[in-house]
Amino acid sequence: MTGVLGSIFRKAGLVLVIAIVVAAIVWDPGRQDWPDDGKTHIRYWYIVAAEDQIPFTVRRFNEAQDTVVVHATPIPWQEHEKKILTAVLSGDPPDVVSQFVPVVRWASRMALRPIDDLIAETGFDMDTFFPALVEEVTWMDRTFALPANTASYAFFYNRAMLAEAGLNPDRPPQSWNEVREYSKVITRYDDRGRMLVAGFLPPFSGGHAGILGNLSIAALQSWQLGANYMSEDGTVVNMDSPEVLRAVEWTKDYYRDYDFQTVQAFIGGLGTGEQHGFLTGKLAMVVLDMSFLDLIRRYRPDMDFGVVETPSFEGFPTASMAGSWWLGIPRGASNPRAAWDFMRFATRADIQLEELAARDDDLFPANRLAAVDSSFLVSPEIEVFVRQMEFAHSPIVVPLAHGVFWREFYNALERSIYGQQSPETAFAQAERQVQESLNRSTDYDEYVREHMAFMEE
Amino acid sequence: MSTPRIKRLREAATGYAFLSPWLVGFLVFGLYPIGMSLYYSVSRYDVLRVPQYIGLENYTTLLFDDPYFGISIWNTLVYTALRIPLAVGGSLVLAILANQALKGIKIFRTIFFLPSIITGVVLSVIWLWMFNPQFGLVNTALGWVGLPGPLWLQSTEWSKPGLALMGLWSIGGARMIVFLAALQGIPEQLYEAVDIDGGGAWARFKHVTLPMLSPVIFLWTVLEVIFSLQVFTEAYVMTKGGPLNSTLFYNLYLYFKAFDDYEMGYASAMAWILLVITLVITLFQFQLGKKWVHYTGEG
Repeated sequence: MTGVLGSIFRKAGLVLVIAIVVAAIVWDPGRQDWPDDGKTHIRYWYIVAAEDQIPFTVRRFNEAQDTVVVHATPIPWQEHEKKILTAVLSGDPPDVVSQFVPVVRWASRMALRPIDDLIAETGFDMDTFFPALVEEVTWMDRTFALPANTASYAFFYNRAMLAEAGLNPDRPPQSWNEVREYSKVITRYDDRGRMLVAGFLPPFSGGHAGILGNLSIAALQSWQLGANYMSEDGTVVNMDSPEVLRAVEWTKDYYRDYDFQTVQAFIGGLGTGEQHGFLTGKLAMVVLDMSFLDLIRRYRPDMDFGVVETPSFEGFPTASMAGSWWLGIPRGASNPRAAWDFMRFATRADIQLEELAARDDDLFPANRLAAVDSSFLVSPEIEVFVRQMEFAHSPIVVPLAHGVFWREFYNALERSIYGQQSPETAFAQAERQVQESLNRSTDYDEYVREHMAFMEE
Repeated sequence: MSTPRIKRLREAATGYAFLSPWLVGFLVFGLYPIGMSLYYSVSRYDVLRVPQYIGLENYTTLLFDDPYFGISIWNTLVYTALRIPLAVGGSLVLAILANQALKGIKIFRTIFFLPSIITGVVLSVIWLWMFNPQFGLVNTALGWVGLPGPLWLQSTEWSKPGLALMGLWSIGGARMIVFLAALQGIPEQLYEAVDIDGGGAWARFKHVTLPMLSPVIFLWTVLEVIFSLQVFTEAYVMTKGGPLNSTLFYNLYLYFKAFDDYEMGYASAMAWILLVITLVITLFQFQLGKKWVHYTGEG
């Protein structure tokens, strides 16, 4: 009896194991069956922080026509890029994605489908977007995405703190040297010499992102002075030009006004988000992007502040930086045409304005017609941000070595400010590292082009 | 084919079939990635495009041309050297305290254990506030005893000791439990022998407790060295490698290369070098262990 039972158990176990293995091989958890309604169903992946609701553009698109249905899937913020790229790599990507990482980071790795054929086929006008944003979605003379929303940077100042320091709140600093003078007047210490309030602190480390501002003042200044980090043909990196060195020297010189250790201790106590130094009244002046207006409205609605163009050196124009949320079609997407219909719908001026009206935060529309509409320009601050877009630079300085460039830039800046190296030596070293990385990437890129024909699709 | 042979084959097939879930898992999610990682380490590869074979270039670039390789190795070794005594020694001391026959000792053991269940990211954020140079708890406490508080994570000198100090947070965790179990397994007659010889508390500790605990101390030292060489979360959340790359640990740099720059080939080469370093240090520890680890039952 035991032998018979044992045999039955063994056979049943064998069948079960084989069934599990076969199921594991053939089961496709990603496969979705859409209703057979004659419509084209597409998948749209978008990133969410906390709220999990269907995006306005999806709802509006699905209502506005009856041939394509967009199914929106929220992707949690954590490691979102890797999740989407994994789907691309698996060969079963969504039809359209919303992202904010540099487009070229995906385009250069062939994660996105070029959309020039769709643009030509439908007569779509890319001039509807700000030039800096068009530059951001272009790689090797091909277009890979449509800008959806953007951000530009401007100079925030706390009027009450200026007044408290005896400065005229109606006359914010006009130049970097005035920023330096204002800052000295505003900065206060307690009786133990600890810094309580600072006027302005230009970031000098990559770790200052979000704390002192999301862009490098030294990089911004170098753009104002006319720095060009790449040769015309995009093959030679130039990080130690006189313009860059002058900007770095300014920051180095700036910190001579303060005890550096006291500044470091002060920065160590600053936070991000609702704990940002500008919101908590510890920083009087900062260069920030437009989304900060929402934070002020949410956490410090009573704050008396102003926003003006970023100061520059005497005789040089202002500058800003543009970042962009974009919509793109991943490589291998099964319904590019339907995805394209959704993309151009979502970036239409009237839809962007409708979306703006439906939300309680300030989205900066990438569509220029929407950005200059009176329903968007509801405050002098927003007007400043729109004007700043005309002076915006793309953060994609060295497309094939984007991450390396910014890491090396901050490393060199840090070494200069700490006095570990002279700015000349630090930035020459950074240039070598970025150039080597660019050379490796270019070599790899050429190899890939010989072995993958994707770009010619 | 003879019947016994068929029977043996059938038995073997049944055995492998039952093994197959694990076997398939190991081959697909273990051996295959390890093999591919070795291949990628001699390639340029960015995950989304075909790999380009480049021989040992990644390794030579790392060893001879990459200024951050040496920095990250140094940072990791210093961190490891600082952390091990704190983590292993701290757990041992706590286990000895928790081994005392006091009323309510079980409650104390639970309290000691609790901090260790907090996850790395949460822990990092808590310590970020504790290390606040101006108003943080650590510097405030130092101020009470008249010591000037350092800049901690803002300082190139104190950032690594600061992160190593965080290891104290988890001394009441698994290490303490294992030490406690080992302590309770020490035969009482060994202590009685010391008492008969007229030895005091120190002699009991030196000649009985320590030798009897040496296999556990050795185990935790080996494991903690391996864990410490892979330090990542604290630096990623708290310092991003700064200031001045003083907390750019090896795994953090590997992460930057893999997931910021998508240089997976380069990152794979880094991973293999880390494996070799870990292997060398572990073998060295085993050699050293022969001189001080005492196993009961050995002649």
